[in-house]
Amino acid sequence: MQYVADVTAGQDARAAIEIDRVSHVYAGAEGGVPALEDISMRVAPGRFVVIVGPSGCGKTSLLMMMAGLRDHSAGRIHVHGAAISKPDPDRVGVIFQEASLFPWLTTLDNIEFPLSLRGLSREERRRKSEPMLSLVGLSGFGARYPHELSGGMKQRVSIARGLVQDPPVLLMDEPFAALDEQTRMTMGHELLRIWSTTRKTVVFITHSLTEAVYLADEVYVMSPRPGRIIDHIEIDLPRPRTYEVMATEPFGRLRERIWQQIRRSQ
Amino acid sequence: MKRWHILAVRAVLLLLVVGAWEWAPRANIVNPMLLPPLTEVLAMLKVQVARPAVQEAILVTGLEVIVAFLIAVPLGAAAGIAIAEFPYAGAIFRPMLFYVFSIPKSIFLPMFILVFGIGFQQKVAYAAFTTAFVVLMSATAAVESVKSDYVLVARSFGATPMQILWRIYLPSMMPVLLETLRISMIFNFTGVMIAEMYASRTGIGHLISNWGENFQMPQLFAGVILLAAVAIAFNETVRYLEARCSTWRT
Repeated sequence: MQYVADVTAGQDARAAIEIDRVSHVYAGAEGGVPALEDISMRVAPGRFVVIVGPSGCGKTSLLMMMAGLRDHSAGRIHVHGAAISKPDPDRVGVIFQEASLFPWLTTLDNIEFPLSLRGLSREERRRKSEPMLSLVGLSGFGARYPHELSGGMKQRVSIARGLVQDPPVLLMDEPFAALDEQTRMTMGHELLRIWSTTRKTVVFITHSLTEAVYLADEVYVMSPRPGRIIDHIEIDLPRPRTYEVMATEPFGRLRERIWQQIRRSQ
Repeated sequence: MKRWHILAVRAVLLLLVVGAWEWAPRANIVNPMLLPPLTEVLAMLKVQVARPAVQEAILVTGLEVIVAFLIAVPLGAAAGIAIAEFPYAGAIFRPMLFYVFSIPKSIFLPMFILVFGIGFQQKVAYAAFTTAFVVLMSATAAVESVKSDYVLVARSFGATPMQILWRIYLPSMMPVLLETLRISMIFNFTGVMIAEMYASRTGIGHLISNWGENFQMPQLFAGVILLAAVAIAFNETVRYLEARCSTWRT
């Protein structure tokens, strides 16, 4: 947690993520297709930020750019002060929509994959991966293969894999989209628990407005292509949040506001 | 159905075939000139395997099979991977290769004889030629079986291209690769046999072809059993490895 520690050690609130007028144009047959337009965002360390928007608005592209997995045409992206141009696993962990676990590796080996890329010894890897396994509530499942796990368990492993190198920033691309409603609710709750113990900066992408309001400190709303930021909403619901919060009036109002923004933009 | 049940039925069927092979010629239900009893064939097999000429033929055939395999597999795999990985090469060569793949390879055998004669080189060249196409097609499929998601995940953790090759491509492709190895060996063996039976001075294929022409049925069947045993042994070994390497496959 070195980067987060820097910030709390007294340098004035440096942003964890800074996106400065980022645009992107896809090369097309007739000129270019604008995908993202003038996106700016400033995420303070330790915040849980959710980006919502209609399909094809470019929110996943934006996340991939933050992860250094995709180029952008204009603008700058900084994570903890460093410009992002290629994947930087020390700063950023990515969790994908499909858990994308390697089927030929056991749960523990999957979690240790990022560590093995750096040539850590077996003991060192175990020392780091075991706590991750229990953090995501899968103690005792370390020797299982992915095909022996449920969809929710797979995403837990994927979260553990994203956290194992202790990056200060976690990028999550609709991680629960493929799960059924009940599992999805449980996983959202679990994610908040994990987040509150690790205090990572999280950028989370979703289609679900309920999920957005339930998880977020702040929500960014994007327009259909070309994607622009059309609203930025503070979610000031008290934490820790429980499922009951979804039935409250403030929750409904926030959800409604996001829905109105998305509807008006289409 | 229970496992032991299936095994029992298989054993009974095998015994029936073996028993029929022994009994039918002796009872003159089939012509023993055409199908000698099994015990006679096995006795002949023992005699033949002890003959230096046969041992030499086995050695030659074995060497041809191995050398052809060692040429065809790397060559076919490299070409197949290149076609799958480089869209430009794929666009140019893929249709041609599919056309050539569809042609029965044995019609090229006379040309191989003209170029290489009827010795060791001709067997190896012809078998490698027929095998390389199978390897090429399978290697292309193997590369295409690697999910791009896995590569993306590895890249997000900072994997280098070499790490992606060794830790993502190789394990992803392993089950398909082993299957390729197995199937290509079948083609390879067939290639050597056809070349030996068509025109040759030595090798098991040549012996079998001779025995057939001279109506030496016990010898012919002994040769068939010998070849079958070797081919099945190889196939099952690779299949065993395949199963071990793909426990994760559902």
